Amino acid sequence: MDMNAIKPDQTLDARGLACPMPLLKTKKVLKDLKVGEILEILGTDPGSKNDIPHFAGKGGNEFLGMLDDAEGFTRYFIKKGA
Amino acid sequence: MASPTFISSVKEEARKNYIAIFEQDWPSWLSGILIAFLALLIFLWQSPWGIAAGYKNWGDWFFFAVGMKTTKPSLPWLHTMSVSNFGLFSGALASALMSRQFKLRPSPPLEYIKGVAGGIFMGAGAALAGGCNVGGFYTAIGVFSMGGYAMMIGLGAGAWLGLRYLLWEMAKFPPKMTTEERSSKRVPSRIDWAKIQPYLGGGILFMAVSIFYLYSFLDKTQMGGLLFFGLLIGFVMHRARFCFVRAFRCPFMTGDAEMVRVVALSLAIYGIGSAVIKWNFLQPDTMGVYHPFWIGSLSGGVIFGFGMLLAGGCASSTLWRIGEGHIKLMIVLVAFAITNSWLNDFLTTSGLEGKLGKGILVPAVFSWPLTMPLFLLVLLAWVLWAVWNEKTEKCVIF
Repeated sequence: MDMNAIKPDQTLDARGLACPMPLLKTKKVLKDLKVGEILEILGTDPGSKNDIPHFAGKGGNEFLGMLDDAEGFTRYFIKKGA
Repeated sequence: MASPTFISSVKEEARKNYIAIFEQDWPSWLSGILIAFLALLIFLWQSPWGIAAGYKNWGDWFFFAVGMKTTKPSLPWLHTMSVSNFGLFSGALASALMSRQFKLRPSPPLEYIKGVAGGIFMGAGAALAGGCNVGGFYTAIGVFSMGGYAMMIGLGAGAWLGLRYLLWEMAKFPPKMTTEERSSKRVPSRIDWAKIQPYLGGGILFMAVSIFYLYSFLDKTQMGGLLFFGLLIGFVMHRARFCFVRAFRCPFMTGDAEMVRVVALSLAIYGIGSAVIKWNFLQPDTMGVYHPFWIGSLSGGVIFGFGMLLAGGCASSTLWRIGEGHIKLMIVLVAFAITNSWLNDFLTTSGLEGKLGKGILVPAVFSWPLTMPLFLLVLLAWVLWAVWNEKTEKCVIF
């Protein structure tokens, strides 16, 4: 899938935050999303590269992928499930 | 395609191995086993592994430098835990460089404030419990000191409270959302920095080993060994992002039981090895058993646990995250060291130390034959609780 083609419904800016804040905020924001909506997370913590895909694959949500941005952060995409 | 020559196939193999060992993250269970193994080597080499006492030494130097302490603390390069801390930091830095993950990582101002507070709480907690998450919990349980169990309960309670605070903070300062459009290009491989990093990392490993030989040459082989084992622990910890905080936090946060499994596995190996050493008197059986059971260990655990959630790192992961360049955790370290040094001295001079409890050797209470199954049962119960909680999310508080 071409990550650049994904149009997120919401974007969470977690840049500069370290473990556990990116994951905690992701979980909170995800709660308020509607089923099928896509959340984009921007993060700089290297730990998130394991944490977010691992967490996003659980609880019915779908992890769509991640993309390293040229500006030095990573974009993660999660589709809210039922 | 030309058929591979000897040189090209060696190169290909070396490249693949480099990526597998130095770039990709290691599975956490592997790091659990390796850390138990290295901690046992430290135990055999000198005395049980700890971290906070090294921080205390650095804090002592601060108070000595500003004139609030009259006796000169031992030199940081001749203080056992300070030396293994240097090793741990160097190993993590080398690993971060070799995986091209090192860079100075600033945080928003609120995170720095939490860093100061988290450092103060952890420094105070470690002073009360006679050790941090390593010396007061991991090593303590491993060397059969009763205080380790009290601190374990305390750490769980503290992590729960800390998570409560983080949730409150998120309600107060809602997550930052952005609407700017973006389209990422593939990262252009930045020429210089990313290419130089692995060489710098390799250089640090080489230097650390040279320093070990230097110590040995100066008749301080024991110190050199601590640097070397610390180096390997730091390297392993960064490679697998080994984090004690997760073992206490995740059951309440995401329900994830992974780190509980890994820490329990690591402790089981460490404890069995330590029983071999202690039961057979290779080292005195009371060695490392000084954790103030139970008031000090329990209250220290709660305070430390709360602090590590604010800080986003415990005593060990603070050190390896600094090796990765997190500025917040450098602040945590300073606050930790100063608080720990001050409170330790205060507890000693005020005589409060004696009221916190005393070190109890578990086999002295239950005998060795009974201690071993009990030790393993506690770990098993912890894992079973975490796995059950992962399925049911009964203890997840948000």
